Amino acid sequence: MLKIEHLSKRYGDVVAVDDLDFDVTPGVVTGFLGPNGSGKSTTMRVILGLDRPTKGRATIDGRVYSDLRHPLREVGALLEAKAVHPGRSARNHLLAMAASNNIASSRVDEVLEFTGIASVATKKVGTYSLGMNQRLGIAAALLGDPQILLFDEPINGLDPEGIKWIREFFRTLAKEGRTVFVSSHLMSEMALSADRIIVIGRGRFIAQGSVDELTADAVGTVTVRSSDQARLAEIVHARHGSVRDRDDRALTIEGLTSDEVGEAAFAAGITLYELTPQRASLEEVFMGLTSDAVQYASAGTEVPRGK
Amino acid sequence: MASDVTLASASRAEWIKFRSVRSTVLGFVVTAVLTLGISALITSVIRGHWTTMDPLSKLTFDPVSTSLGGTLFAQFAVGVIGALFITSEYSSGSIRTTLAAVPQRLRVIAAKAIVLTVSMLIVAEVLSFVTFLMGQAIFAGVVPTASLATTAVLRSVILAGVYLTLLALLGFALGLILRQSAACITVFTSLLLVVPIIVFLLPQSWQNAFSKYEPSALGRAMMSTAPPSQMFGAGSATVILIIYVAVAGVVGSLLFLRRDA
Ligand SMILES: Nc1ncnc2c1ncn2[C@@H]1O[C@H](COP(=O)(O)OP(=O)(O)OP(=O)(O)O)[C@@H](O)[C@H]1O
Ligand SMILES: [Mg+2]
Repeated sequence: MLKIEHLSKRYGDVVAVDDLDFDVTPGVVTGFLGPNGSGKSTTMRVILGLDRPTKGRATIDGRVYSDLRHPLREVGALLEAKAVHPGRSARNHLLAMAASNNIASSRVDEVLEFTGIASVATKKVGTYSLGMNQRLGIAAALLGDPQILLFDEPINGLDPEGIKWIREFFRTLAKEGRTVFVSSHLMSEMALSADRIIVIGRGRFIAQGSVDELTADAVGTVTVRSSDQARLAEIVHARHGSVRDRDDRALTIEGLTSDEVGEAAFAAGITLYELTPQRASLEEVFMGLTSDAVQYASAGTEVPRGK
Repeated sequence: MASDVTLASASRAEWIKFRSVRSTVLGFVVTAVLTLGISALITSVIRGHWTTMDPLSKLTFDPVSTSLGGTLFAQFAVGVIGALFITSEYSSGSIRTTLAAVPQRLRVIAAKAIVLTVSMLIVAEVLSFVTFLMGQAIFAGVVPTASLATTAVLRSVILAGVYLTLLALLGFALGLILRQSAACITVFTSLLLVVPIIVFLLPQSWQNAFSKYEPSALGRAMMSTAPPSQMFGAGSATVILIIYVAVAGVVGSLLFLRRDA
């Protein structure tokens, strides 16, 4: 089991990770979700002993990474940043990794075959496309056949076929009883690939649970059309709901369920023409959860024109 | 330590990495071309001018260090080989792969130092002997020559290879400290070229005190059969150069242990 224990990491003035504390359990795919700069990659680097935590620690079955006997055989990682010399071939890259952890070189060919890059394995990594690099990273993670796997933004650069493949691959790994920890900043992706999601923002823990649990608490909206929109709006306010949007025909109501709106209208003798509950979209849920914790918000969507 | 990632397995990995990039191969080719090419040039020119050379120059002429002259040019190439062995890991990000595979950082440094020392020593010694023999062949018949049967001559030729190996290690240590190829190569060439110029601008008495400590002066001392009195003897020069490399190596290692990768 992978445990993050009250982990904090500062870089100078920047608090990249702030007292994170959670477990990543085997047998399921655990998603690690947060906006840009929220500390996902930093957490992964600390787990691998690459960056030294300011406080707390990350342990693998009770041991810190540097105490593992053969690190690559216990933990495999695909890091977000490229971690390969561009002038070296994929095969030599993997052979060197294998040699350091006393892994048979036949295993190198196995993982190259499995990730579909065997045919280009003797070419320089610098000539690879983004997707091929990503596949090499996955091959490297699998090299030691580890029980714990970390993937930082694994779908970056993969084509639809590759994305579908990797989702099924995560499932398979989890079914085999491995610990699978996958970061992403896309809730929709996590909804498809993760059984359990840990949400962070600005380095801090925000929420965790299954997709259903995370979306259950999220506020949905109700769209109504009725014989008296103005009075209905007043009634909604009286019942502590709010009208988020109104146009000529429909009201979009927040804070009340469709049942509550229907009953209120009935009690007031207003005829309803339409009553539609709208579930919050996954991205809305995510933005709702992390809205206080977004560091790098964009300023509108209009392209700045200069003066 | 609990780890089964031994120094031997770490060294095997570093050897695969060292030989599988073009910059290493290219670095050795440049080293060979400079050592042999420049030595051939120097020795041929001396043979051509020997009869017209003044008697004093003839008296102090050292056929050994002269024939090894190319080494003082190849020193830049080996410094780059040593530096790139670690700085390229930072520029490419592969240092993260390296440290994830071998979290014991001192073991990573030791493995790299072993690979660099062994491969450099083999190549540099072969080059030194070949260069020496080539020089004597060019001198033969016109210019006085030296023989490897003489202890002092054998020592000079061997120490020429040791000098190149130590400079490769110095480049490596600077790489550990600076982490950037460009910065590292700048500092390395400054140490070898700019420091002597600065010393040259000092008053004469200071020059006499300091110039013998310059890395290239130590190299010349190591390669000469009878170093002049204002230089260190070959043995002391070797020890001093080893101390430089050790100090830079210790500083680099301490930084490497502390820094985030
Ligand atoms: N080596 C470093 N030096 C200084 N600051 C850093 C360093 N690494 C990360 N940071 C800062 O720490 C914060 C967290 O960064 P991190 O890369 O962990 O975020 P992330 O969740 O992976 O983001 P993204 O989704 O964009 O990949 C950011 O503010 C970043 O600027
Ligand atoms: Mg990241």
